[in-house]
Amino acid sequence: MIDGVTSMELLGLWISIFFTFSILSFLYEDNPVYKLGEHVFMGIGIGLGTVEAWYGVFKPKMVDRLLEESHYWSFVPVLLLILLFMKLSPKLADWARIPIAFVVAAFAGVKLTGEANGRLVAQVAASMPDLPALYEKHGWWNWEADGAGVISGLVLVLGLCACLLHFYFSAPHNKPMRAISRVGVLTLMLSFGASFGFTVMGRISLAIGRAEDLLGFSQPPGNITVLGTEMTRMSGMRWMTILTLLGFIAALAAWKRSGGGHQEPPAQATGE
Amino acid sequence: MLKALVRFQSMDRRWVFLGMAFSIVIPMLMPWSCSFQVDRPVRALYEQVDALEAGDTVFVSADFDPASRPELEPFYRANLHHLFQKDVNVVMGTLWPTAPPLVLPIFEEIAESYGKEYGEDWAFLGYTEGRELAIKSIGASVRKSFPKDSRGNNTAELPIMAGLDGASDFDMIISVSAGFPGTQAYVLQIQGQYNLNMISACTAVSAPDYIAYFDAGQLTGLSGGMPGSAQYESLVFADGPPEGARLMATPNMNVLNLGHLYIILLIIMGNIAYFITRAAGVES
Amino acid sequence: MKRTLPLVLTFIVGLIMVGEFFIPHHGYREMTKELLEWGVIIAAGAFLLGVVNLIQVNWPVIRERRPEWIYKVAMMVALVGTLIAGFIGGESRLDQGQGFKWLFDYMFVPLNATMFSLLAFFIASAAFRAFRARNTEATVMLVAAALVMLAAVPVGASIPGVGEYLVAIKNWIMSVPNNAARRAIFIGAALGAIATGLRVILGLERTHLGGD
Repeated sequence: MIDGVTSMELLGLWISIFFTFSILSFLYEDNPVYKLGEHVFMGIGIGLGTVEAWYGVFKPKMVDRLLEESHYWSFVPVLLLILLFMKLSPKLADWARIPIAFVVAAFAGVKLTGEANGRLVAQVAASMPDLPALYEKHGWWNWEADGAGVISGLVLVLGLCACLLHFYFSAPHNKPMRAISRVGVLTLMLSFGASFGFTVMGRISLAIGRAEDLLGFSQPPGNITVLGTEMTRMSGMRWMTILTLLGFIAALAAWKRSGGGHQEPPAQATGE
Repeated sequence: MLKALVRFQSMDRRWVFLGMAFSIVIPMLMPWSCSFQVDRPVRALYEQVDALEAGDTVFVSADFDPASRPELEPFYRANLHHLFQKDVNVVMGTLWPTAPPLVLPIFEEIAESYGKEYGEDWAFLGYTEGRELAIKSIGASVRKSFPKDSRGNNTAELPIMAGLDGASDFDMIISVSAGFPGTQAYVLQIQGQYNLNMISACTAVSAPDYIAYFDAGQLTGLSGGMPGSAQYESLVFADGPPEGARLMATPNMNVLNLGHLYIILLIIMGNIAYFITRAAGVES
Repeated sequence: MKRTLPLVLTFIVGLIMVGEFFIPHHGYREMTKELLEWGVIIAAGAFLLGVVNLIQVNWPVIRERRPEWIYKVAMMVALVGTLIAGFIGGESRLDQGQGFKWLFDYMFVPLNATMFSLLAFFIASAAFRAFRARNTEATVMLVAAALVMLAAVPVGASIPGVGEYLVAIKNWIMSVPNNAARRAIFIGAALGAIATGLRVILGLERTHLGGD
């Protein structure tokens, strides 16, 4: 142990780099090490969810309420859970409809009011701009306020109406409706383009996080020993990354040579 | 030349992957800085948190996982610093099972750095399942949603929870959200019903959706993705981060620079090749 | 009876949950709080059911040595190991030094984060191969995407002369056409969700109950 780096932590760092490259190796080709990483990920993820479900839901809301508080109404969810697990038995599976009906109805009820209030009423209300107030505050167009003004207010309302009309399929679109629908489509394309831009930003951010970890930027200060040499944690992490990467390249090359993965079909013999 | 352009358009995608890898690693190893401005929703978010007073209590729903750490952890840390600097009490819960091992150590570390007492100044109530039902339950009663905290104490008996039960009892709801369930479900289920003062930090993918909620007044502040986190960091740590803390999102903005330029270059080059081959009548 | 009881239950529970939004009566609210907790418990139970089903599906693959059975073994070992570490750790499972925390920090975090970071590479490939200005609509989308990508990062804002206008245009795109389109989608989705919710509560939608 050097400067607070325990052997378990050192082992953990090696394992984390191994699994990072096992997943990244998919960029080259689907391979056994990737499949291993993928399955281990699934196993740990499901295990994590189960443990947290016990400590976050079952224990405090059911077990403790029954045993510590003698809250006898908590027998009802116990009964509903038993009925739910009857789904595993082909003979008794029909009983599972009761808890499923309960939970589906609960979700339907809350979603109905939530969508009506949060998306329908609130969004429609916000789409009716106060044009005189906008003119007073920003005029027709205000560069300082990112283009706020009467023009933007009108573009918002007209764009919204055009998009809604584009989604109206209950009647065939005549010529004026087609023209308005086209405005709606162009508005949608502007929005989807913006979405794509933000999606790119989000995806690259995810890769930045991994690169930060592999290059040791997220390591705390201190020293670490890698293959007998003491160095800073950041340098240690980088050396471990380089060594693991070289190991993976060698392993993938050996795997390809031994006939693993997608192979190019042999060239066809020409002539009779 | 046409053959070259056709081959270029259908080149092995692994070369594209390699280019992407270089565009991420090179700026990390050779950092350069560019200043950035703070967007209106992030400034609004900062001002909302800054308007809180000592003794106010906020409920933080920390709903993110390791995959969204680069985008949300910088905001999460800066926000906790901001809240504790203002002596605001923080009650936290989560709707994601992968969040507790991630968010709790950071919460503990920052709370203890400000000398805050568990149960009096901060509390972590753990995880609850149920998506919209759980959020509806939080709106009605945080105590019932989280009957015990992560340490096994009765939530109702914690001093920080004195006089607080439903979401509307808190001075602010802060949603740090990587997806569903998260900000959108909070806005739809309880923000309108209880007229909550709610701010959100979300991933870049969700930002175009949540802007509509911000402009409608359902969110009083919004930070989107890594740029949002970097902008918020620059406001909270205007005089530099406190000892033991570091700017997380700000240095990574330079990596985003090159990453975005690489993607734009790929799009431009791909389209140039496409138009030339199309004009020549060559199938690519 | 097999379908009638669940349908009646759906109607009653659905109506009670809709009423939760409108009725401030204390007793009614206490009842709905309790029902919400039952729903939360059953939702968590459904997750457990999925776990049992996973084991039911994968155990025969391992037992009969079907293709890729070794990976299923790895998955089961990881699952059981996490469960053991979690339940042994108890309420202090999230503390530093605990097996559960170690598994999370050194195995789950790199696997989860790297799995999603692959998307950065795939989006680069998709942008290169598929993002073509074939028609007006695609061109508009492409220009908007390029503009937002450029203006969202500091380098775009720093372009002399045009940087601040780029940022202003990007913010305008987000606040005006993007808002218009999102609201249209939200309104449509809300109407659909309301219709579906009503259909479920009134028993017109019965797919969740399965066949007879």
